[in-house]
Amino acid sequence: MARELLRRLVSWEGLLLAILAVIVVVTGLAVPGYLNPQNQINLLELSVEKAIVVLAMTFVIVSGEIDLSIASVMGLSAVLVAWLKEQGVPLEVGIVAALLVGALCGLFNGYWVAVIGLPSLAVTLAGLIGYRGAALLLVGDRSIGGFPEWFNRLGQQPLFGPFPLALIVFAVLLVGATVLLQFSGFGRYAYVVGSSPEVARFSGVRVRRVKLAVFAMSGVVSAFAGVLLLARLGAVRGSTAEGFELDIITMVLLGGVSIFGGSGTMAGVILSILVVLNLRNGLALANATGNTQAGVIGALLILSVLVPNIVVAARSRLGRGGPAEAAVIPKLSDL
Amino acid sequence: MTILLRRVRPEQVRELTLVFILIAVVAFFATQIPNYIAWQTFTDISTGVEIIAVVAVGQTLVVLTRNIDLSIGSVVGLVAYFVGTLLASAPGLPAPAALAIAIAMGGALGAVNGVIVANGRVPAVVATLGTLAIYRVALVELSGAKTVTTDSLPSWLLNLPRMSVVSLGQLDVRPLVLLALVVVIVFQLVLSYLPYGRRLFAIGSNPDAARVAGLPIQRDVFVAFVLSGALAGLAGFLFLVRFGNITVVAGQGLELQVVAAVVVGGVNIFGGSGSIVGALVGATLINVLQQSLIRWPAVSAFAQDAILGLLILLAVASDKVILGRLRTIWVQARRRDEERAAATAAEQATRGA
Amino acid sequence: MADEAEGRRSETDAPPPILEIRGVSKRFGSTQALDDVSLALQAGEIHALLGENGAGKSTLIKIMTGVVQPDGGELIVDGRPVRVGSALEAQALGIAAVYQEPMIFPDLSVAENIFISHRDRGRIVDRGAMRRDAKAVLDRLGVRLDVGEPARGLTVAAQQTVEIAKALSLRVRILIMDEPTASLSAHEVRRLFGIVKALRGEGVAILFISHRMEDVFQIADRVTVLRDGRWISTRPRGEVTPASAIRDMVGRTMGEFFRRTPTRLGETVLEVRGLAREGAFAGVAFTVRAGEVLGLAGLVGARRTDVGLALFGIAPADAGEVLVDGRPVTIRSPQDALRVGIAYTTEDRRQLGLIFPLSIAANITLPTLRRYLSRFGLVRRAAEDAVAQGFKERLSIRALSVETAAGTLSGGNQQKVVLSKWLNTRPRVFILDEPTRGLDVGAKAEVHQIIDELAHDGIAIILISSELPEVLAMSDRILVMREGRQMAVFDNAEATQERVLAAAMGQSAAPAGAIV
Repeated sequence: MARELLRRLVSWEGLLLAILAVIVVVTGLAVPGYLNPQNQINLLELSVEKAIVVLAMTFVIVSGEIDLSIASVMGLSAVLVAWLKEQGVPLEVGIVAALLVGALCGLFNGYWVAVIGLPSLAVTLAGLIGYRGAALLLVGDRSIGGFPEWFNRLGQQPLFGPFPLALIVFAVLLVGATVLLQFSGFGRYAYVVGSSPEVARFSGVRVRRVKLAVFAMSGVVSAFAGVLLLARLGAVRGSTAEGFELDIITMVLLGGVSIFGGSGTMAGVILSILVVLNLRNGLALANATGNTQAGVIGALLILSVLVPNIVVAARSRLGRGGPAEAAVIPKLSDL
Repeated sequence: MTILLRRVRPEQVRELTLVFILIAVVAFFATQIPNYIAWQTFTDISTGVEIIAVVAVGQTLVVLTRNIDLSIGSVVGLVAYFVGTLLASAPGLPAPAALAIAIAMGGALGAVNGVIVANGRVPAVVATLGTLAIYRVALVELSGAKTVTTDSLPSWLLNLPRMSVVSLGQLDVRPLVLLALVVVIVFQLVLSYLPYGRRLFAIGSNPDAARVAGLPIQRDVFVAFVLSGALAGLAGFLFLVRFGNITVVAGQGLELQVVAAVVVGGVNIFGGSGSIVGALVGATLINVLQQSLIRWPAVSAFAQDAILGLLILLAVASDKVILGRLRTIWVQARRRDEERAAATAAEQATRGA
Repeated sequence: MADEAEGRRSETDAPPPILEIRGVSKRFGSTQALDDVSLALQAGEIHALLGENGAGKSTLIKIMTGVVQPDGGELIVDGRPVRVGSALEAQALGIAAVYQEPMIFPDLSVAENIFISHRDRGRIVDRGAMRRDAKAVLDRLGVRLDVGEPARGLTVAAQQTVEIAKALSLRVRILIMDEPTASLSAHEVRRLFGIVKALRGEGVAILFISHRMEDVFQIADRVTVLRDGRWISTRPRGEVTPASAIRDMVGRTMGEFFRRTPTRLGETVLEVRGLAREGAFAGVAFTVRAGEVLGLAGLVGARRTDVGLALFGIAPADAGEVLVDGRPVTIRSPQDALRVGIAYTTEDRRQLGLIFPLSIAANITLPTLRRYLSRFGLVRRAAEDAVAQGFKERLSIRALSVETAAGTLSGGNQQKVVLSKWLNTRPRVFILDEPTRGLDVGAKAEVHQIIDELAHDGIAIILISSELPEVLAMSDRILVMREGRQMAVFDNAEATQERVLAAAMGQSAAPAGAIV
């Protein structure tokens, strides 16, 4: 029992927990009022849209694929709602339409990957460019704003005690995603498909359906996040949410999810989100720019994979490795 | 039909098709846009492509080994800014020196990627995603958020784009286009005739076999990243020459365009096959589309990206479907030949026995 | 030890061995993979290495090719102690290995595949010279291949030839061949042996590792047996019999091949009529009754696996009928097959049979996961573990618990997990494709025992196997295929190795399409 606990602590999740603790403690000491609950809520609010997409992206990467188009779907969804409002469509209808479009984008991605068999990197790269293009077609180089008050306060209005709607939704999605990934049959299928699509197929798993579902989910969730983003920003342009995919993918990978699929936990991803958000906030308070924050996170991402590799290599050289030693032969990264 | 297919490999068919498509697209736009077929158009396109083409060469090397380099956008921006600042403060610096510094700096940045991927065994996606951010930070810090402006740059640099190496009537061959072309040719030769180039194909084609065969994988991949960085550095120099004004967002998003060019150009994203010339044609096709769509009144200027996305999708989809089909036919034809030969041999053996 | 055997071989002083392995040991964690093993290879001999899985053969190969370093002992080449620290160093010493799955580069030409590791061919790649040299090497082996074409799509046999040509071009002196004949047709095996003998003639020492006795006894000059990491014996071929070899490998006298216990056959469960898939097979027709084992025999290339894949819905048939319990069924996906009660275990257990990082329990329930989901779609772990535990006991799967990752098990136990997984689908028809391939003698016997019990339980079994003795011992009837066509069907009583082999080679008069 104790050994099991120890193993968990030394695992990726344990490492993230330690890092998180260090960051929180250091920032808490350096900045008065940092640990104030209201402050923490504000901190989370600023990136809740990305965090929501991170949850969906985890499924995509665990199932062995990648979705580069998430930011463009976010942008497209936001643009669509704004554009429809301009055309006189009621906001509620516009939101539903945006979610539908998000699902369609996801299914479109999924079709080419799961049914035709194209590499997801290439397909979603096309989507990243294409969906952004669709948004540009609608909005050109203008900016659309002027939303009703209730919409603008949607995310930020304290709903349940001090917690705004956006955070509550995030919390609910968080719980749902965790249960879905770790405890449900669908989650198991995602892991299996990511680990070995061939074995999955030979075992009667409907690989196509799993992948289509995963991409559709990514699309809908991205669209939803786009709506929340629109609400928070109050206006949208063609470039809204540009570049978000980097942050989102980073947060998933930092959470211990292997880029090759088949492994990783939601717990790790949640910790990763907290680490990144607190790190960004701490750096911002230390007057580091958004770019610097990205740089630090980039370094963290690299170290998160590099350091364990070094440790494993060192251990096997010291002869402590088990039968795994024979398997530690230089392997190149596959895409 | 099958005989023809046996003579020509599916990959060659793919490249030829790409060239035909390019010609078809140009022909189409010629009917739609007045004065399209003009030397001016050629100049516009070639100057538009030169930066992407140079970076695409480096990216091809990396992608062949089943890796990817997402940091090149940041490298281009960083080098452009650095060299621009250098020239602004030391205008007497000769052009070749500036060029050399750009390449060396890019190479060093690429070397960092190489160490992390080849020696640190970090997947290339992860590693270059990280350095993309880190190099961008370096640019921001270095610049102090200032901009390199054209009035601070020496005049030879600013005049470079307008110079002509050769003038044939209305056709002006710009020196930088020539440079890009030379780079493409040199590296196509490297891939075809240098053992190093052939090894890159091997590594991407079957990494396990490469290991077992004792190929110097780590070293070769490291060099590929160094080259990718060096070429991105060169492209940074070209960027500086072309735009003059360098802000902190210089080069952002370039990596996507380059990967698109490489993918459309027929380089397999899983490594093992593709060519530099293919990547060049891919980059050209994309640029032709982008430039032509702007001048085509029938379609909104903002449709560019949407169409580009569609193009990439089509390129990859047709690769899978058509190339896959061609390969199957090819392999089947070959197996039939072999089986026939084996059956004849077997009959002879049993008759003899 | 080895010297003794050497002494027995010839009284006069034998030439010094080209490669000597002296007292080599290697430990991996808590497993002693090799324990003081000594072995000597002569130039110009074919030396067979026998041993069950886990006997240490692959560790020995890894040490010889520089992948792994021994803890103790030494390697001596041409009388000088050497250290093989890397693949390159092995290459320099003239040591090369050809594995069961040949490692070629599909995108490079055959000629390039042969010469890719060469350092001494100059700074510029000369395609013409490379093609000429490649042809020359292949000529030495008596093989003709189109050297300018990409290696993609070469048959396994041709790939092997390329690998051997590669080794030869690197001036190989010690060639290790690991299970080279596993995927070859009889004709290809003959051709391979011709090549191997040609190499022997050139003075190359060949270490030949194989599970197939008939191959070993056809080609080897001397036979060495390892067991549990220890050297057991080295004898000239003339002094060894299959029984004595097996005895050495297993440490006890093994009876003849497994004997089936008599089973009462039930109704016809599966009927297949005129089954065909374009480019694969045609005119396949047979029936299988409950409790019956129908052996599907044939040489490599007979397309038996394709029949299995068609019945399981992975590569559905274009034509023909399939009837289960007399009712026609359409099978276009594995889900369809499972629904009508057809299960299929693949040839390649590693690539296609199990998810290695997943627990034994999760692997077992994978095809039937829906049975273990609660109303909200959550996995009921307790129920899952209970089922897995049941199979663990029934099939004697040796593992710490059902939560252990499947990838850590030995080959035999992995195969049992695969069997459990499919048994859990409660199949009426069970198609087993090479279920004992790569398993050692003990594990094989266990699997045969299980098959026998399954027949007793009334399952209709189709056993696809390339090992004739296994097919003859286990089957009630034998269906022979050749190149996608059905050649003959035999009752066990009338089947002999010769008859079956003759049919497999197309020298039988039984008409195709007749249901027997």
